[in-house]
Amino acid sequence: MAEAKQSSVVRVAVRVAGVVLAALVLWGAMLLYQSQQPPAQPLEFNHQRHVQDLGMSCLFCHSNAQRGVSAGLPSLTKCMACHNNIEPTTPALQTLQAYAEKGETIPWVPVAMQPDFVYFSHRPHVNAGVACETCHGEVGQMTVAEPIKNQNMGWCLSCHKNSVDAEHFVKLSDCATCHK
Amino acid sequence: MAGGNGHEEHTKWVMVIDLDRCNGCGACVTACAMENNVAFTGEEENAYGRGMHWLRLQRYWEGEGDELRVRFIPTMCQQCSNAPCEPVCPVYATLHSEAEEINLQVYNRCIGTRYCANNCPYIARTFNWFDYEWPEPLNFHLNPDVTVRRRGIMEKCTFCIQRIRRAEENAKAEGREVYDGEVQPACAQACPTEAIVFGNWRDPNSRVRQLAASQRAFKLEEALGTEPKVIYLAGGRHEF
Repeated sequence: MAEAKQSSVVRVAVRVAGVVLAALVLWGAMLLYQSQQPPAQPLEFNHQRHVQDLGMSCLFCHSNAQRGVSAGLPSLTKCMACHNNIEPTTPALQTLQAYAEKGETIPWVPVAMQPDFVYFSHRPHVNAGVACETCHGEVGQMTVAEPIKNQNMGWCLSCHKNSVDAEHFVKLSDCATCHK
Repeated sequence: MAGGNGHEEHTKWVMVIDLDRCNGCGACVTACAMENNVAFTGEEENAYGRGMHWLRLQRYWEGEGDELRVRFIPTMCQQCSNAPCEPVCPVYATLHSEAEEINLQVYNRCIGTRYCANNCPYIARTFNWFDYEWPEPLNFHLNPDVTVRRRGIMEKCTFCIQRIRRAEENAKAEGREVYDGEVQPACAQACPTEAIVFGNWRDPNSRVRQLAASQRAFKLEEALGTEPKVIYLAGGRHEF
C-alpha cells in the first residue's frame, strides 16, 4: 500500500517536472524570438540627427519606397552631396570620409527583412498613405535603426483585414498578395 | 470554348494555346524555369520521374517511317475552377484565390503530403525531393519575386501570379485599369510564334475571348468536370 502511494507521488512529481520543463523551453524560445538585435553597420548612422534634428524626410534617402518594391539604401553620392561640406569630426563621419576617398559603396546592412517566401512591395503601402512609422517604428527617434519585433503574418493581417470594403478585403487577404 | 456551362463567372485569367502555331521549340519551358526559379534536377533525377518542369511539351507521335509526324501539347497546371487538388490538401496549402480565381500553392504552408499531385489528372505538380542548388553564377538568375522552394514542398504553375500582381500594382499606381496583353506569363512572352496568349476573360474584347470563340477550342480532360482555364485550339493543319 505504501509502495503504491509512493509511486503515485513519483508519477505526479514527474508530471509537474515535465510541465515546468516544457514551460521553460517555450519561454526560452519566446525570448530567443524576441531577441532580434540590430545588425552591425559599416558606420553608426544616426537617424535621430538626420530626421528629428535636421527635419529630413525618410524618402530623401530611401527614395525608391514610392516607386519600387524595395525602399533602397542611399548611395555614397547621396551622402556626400551634403557631407562634402561637413567637417568629419566624429568616427562615423571619418569612416564615411574614408569610403568617399576610396570611392567605395557603403555596404549598408538592411534592418527590416522578411523571409524569402514573403513578397512585400513598398509602393502600394506608401501610395495608400501608410506612414513609414506604422511598420518601421519611430526610426526618427532612434540612433541606429532597430528591427520591429514580432513582425509576422498576424501583424500584417491586423491591418489588411481592416479593409474599407469587401472587394479590398478579398484582395488584401488573398494568399497571393504576399506569397508567390 | 464550350460556352454556357455556367462556370464563366468564376473565370478571370485565361490562357489560350494554339496548337497549330506551336512548333515544339521549348522556349516556353526554358522561360518558365527562369522566371519561376524552377530547379534543374538533371538527367538521372528526370529518369526517376523527379523532373521539376512546371510546363512540359507533351509529344505525340503519329505514323511510321516517312509518314512519321509529331504533335506537341504544352501542358501546365490548368488552373481548374473545380480543382481536384484543392479538397485533398490537409493544410490548405493549395487553395483557390478568390481575387484572381486561380489555384495557389502556398509554399510555407505545404507539408509535403503529395495528395494534391496524386489527385491531379494533368500531372501538373512537381515535388521537391531534395534541396536543389544553383551553383554560381546560376544563382544570379533567381527571380526575387518568387520563393525559392525547399525540400519536401509541392509546386506548380501559378500563371505567373507575380506578373499578374505586378501589372495590377502598376495599373493602380498609374490610376488606370490593366489593359489587354499587359499581363504576360513567361511562357507567353517567350513563345516565338505567339501560340500562347493570356488575358482577362471578363473583358469582352480581350484577345483570349476572341481566340476561344474558335471552333477548334477544346480543353484537356473536359469530361472530368475540372473546368480548366487553359483553352487549346486543336491543331492539324500544319505538320512538323
